[in-house]
Amino acid sequence: MEDVQVVAMLVRRCIAGDSAAWEEIVQTYNRRIYNICYRFAGSGDDAEDLTQEVFIKMYRTLSSYDPSKGAFVTWVTTITRNLLVDHFRKTKQDRMTDSIDSTASEHEDAQPLSEHIQDQSAPPDTHVRHREVSETVHAALAKLSPELREAVILRDLQDMDYREIATVLKVPEGTVKSRINRGRAELGRLLQRTYRQVM
Amino acid sequence: MPEHTNNGMQCNEFDALLTDALDGVLNGTELERFQAHAGSCKACGPLLVEVEAGRNWLKGLTEVEPPANLVANILASTTGVDTHRLRVTARVPQPRVSWLEHVQATISGYLEPIWATVRQPRFAMSFGMAFFALSVGLTVAGVKPADLRQISLRPTAIRHTYYATQARVVHYYENVRVVYELQAAVRRIKRNAEPAEPGRKQNRPGKQINERNDTTQQPEQKQERNYSQTENHLVLASAHVGPCLKSCDLPVVSVTTYRRLV
Repeated sequence: MEDVQVVAMLVRRCIAGDSAAWEEIVQTYNRRIYNICYRFAGSGDDAEDLTQEVFIKMYRTLSSYDPSKGAFVTWVTTITRNLLVDHFRKTKQDRMTDSIDSTASEHEDAQPLSEHIQDQSAPPDTHVRHREVSETVHAALAKLSPELREAVILRDLQDMDYREIATVLKVPEGTVKSRINRGRAELGRLLQRTYRQVM
Repeated sequence: MPEHTNNGMQCNEFDALLTDALDGVLNGTELERFQAHAGSCKACGPLLVEVEAGRNWLKGLTEVEPPANLVANILASTTGVDTHRLRVTARVPQPRVSWLEHVQATISGYLEPIWATVRQPRFAMSFGMAFFALSVGLTVAGVKPADLRQISLRPTAIRHTYYATQARVVHYYENVRVVYELQAAVRRIKRNAEPAEPGRKQNRPGKQINERNDTTQQPEQKQERNYSQTENHLVLASAHVGPCLKSCDLPVVSVTTYRRLV
C-alpha cells in the first residue's frame, strides 16, 4: 500500500519543517480518513470536523511515529479510530444494536430502515437506485454498535488485513474476526428485514 | 451459540473459519467440512447467509468524495498557512451575474427584513392608519395629488421656490416680531400707569421667606420692634396727625423708653 521508505522520508521532511511534505501527506490520506470518519460518525459535517482533528493531532505527534513499529497507514488509522471513539463517547450516540444473539422484537422499536427508501416499486434510473441503496446501507451501518462498526469499516471498506485491524483496535485477531462476522451478520439481518418490509 | 457437532465440525470452529471461508482462503477438506456443517447446522447455515449478505452490502458501498476545501482547511488549521492555490482549485466556478442583478440583489437584501416586518398584521394595520391620517390631513390642508403634478422640477424653478419660501418665512418672522414689540410696549405702559404699592410689594418676598422659615410661630415683627431699637431711640406718643388734631390743639407728650439692659 505504501512504500515505507518514501513515507518515512516524508515524515522526516515534515518534522524538519517542510510544508510541501506535509501537504503531500494531507493530499494522500485525507480521502481515506474522511471516509472512515464519515462511515463511523454518519454525517458529512462531523466527518469533516473529525478529519481536521485527526490531521491536527497527526501534525502535533508526527515525531512520535516509529516506522519500525508498523506502517504509517496503521498509525494514521489508529489515531483516527481513537478520535472517533472519543467523539462517540462525547456525543453519546446511543444507537447501538445488540449482538447477534438479540431478538428481532428488540429491533422493531428502532426506526425502520425502510424510511430511507423512497419508493422501491417505481423503477428509477440506476444512479438514483444505487444512491438510495447506499444511503440505506449507510443508515444500517450507523445502527451497529461501535465495536462492530469499526471492525467492518476497517475490513470491508478500508480493506485492511486482520493483523492491522488488531493493531488499530488493540484486540487479538480472533476477536477482530468475531466482530467482523457479527457486524456483517447484524447488517445483513437489518437490511434483509428492511427490504422484506419494503417489498 | 450452541455447540453442535455436525460432520466433525463444531459451531465455534465454524465461526472461527467463517472469515477465512468468505475470503476464499479455505480449501481442501477444511472447506468441505465447513460447507457440510453450513448445510446441516440450523444455526450456522443462516448465519453464513447473513454474514455473506452483510459483506456484499458493505462491498457495494462506494467511497464518498471529501469536501472540496477539506485539504485547504486542514493545511490552514495545521500549518496556519491558508494556501491560496488550493482555495482557487477548490472553488466552484460561480455563474456570471450582471451588475443590474447584483444591484437588485443588494437592494432586496436590505429591503427584505423591512418588508418582512411590514407584512406583519399589527404593523400593516399601523401603517394603514398612518396612511389614512396622512391622506385626511392633506385633504384638509387642501393639498391635492393633481397639484403635485404641476410642480416643476427644473433647477431654476426649484431655486425660485426656495427663495420664495425663504422670503415668506422671513416676512412672517418680521410680522411676529412687530406684534411682540407692540405687546411689550403696551405691557410697559400698563405697568407704569398702575398705582405703586412699594411697601406691600417689597415686603412680600421677605415675608414669604420669613413665613417659610418660621418654625416658632412667634410674632417676628413685634420682636424686631422691641429688640432692634437703640437705647436712645425716641418714640413719640402722639395722636394721628390730621386736620382734627390741629384744630383741637392737644399737647404733644414725649416719652423716652430705654432698652432693657441684660
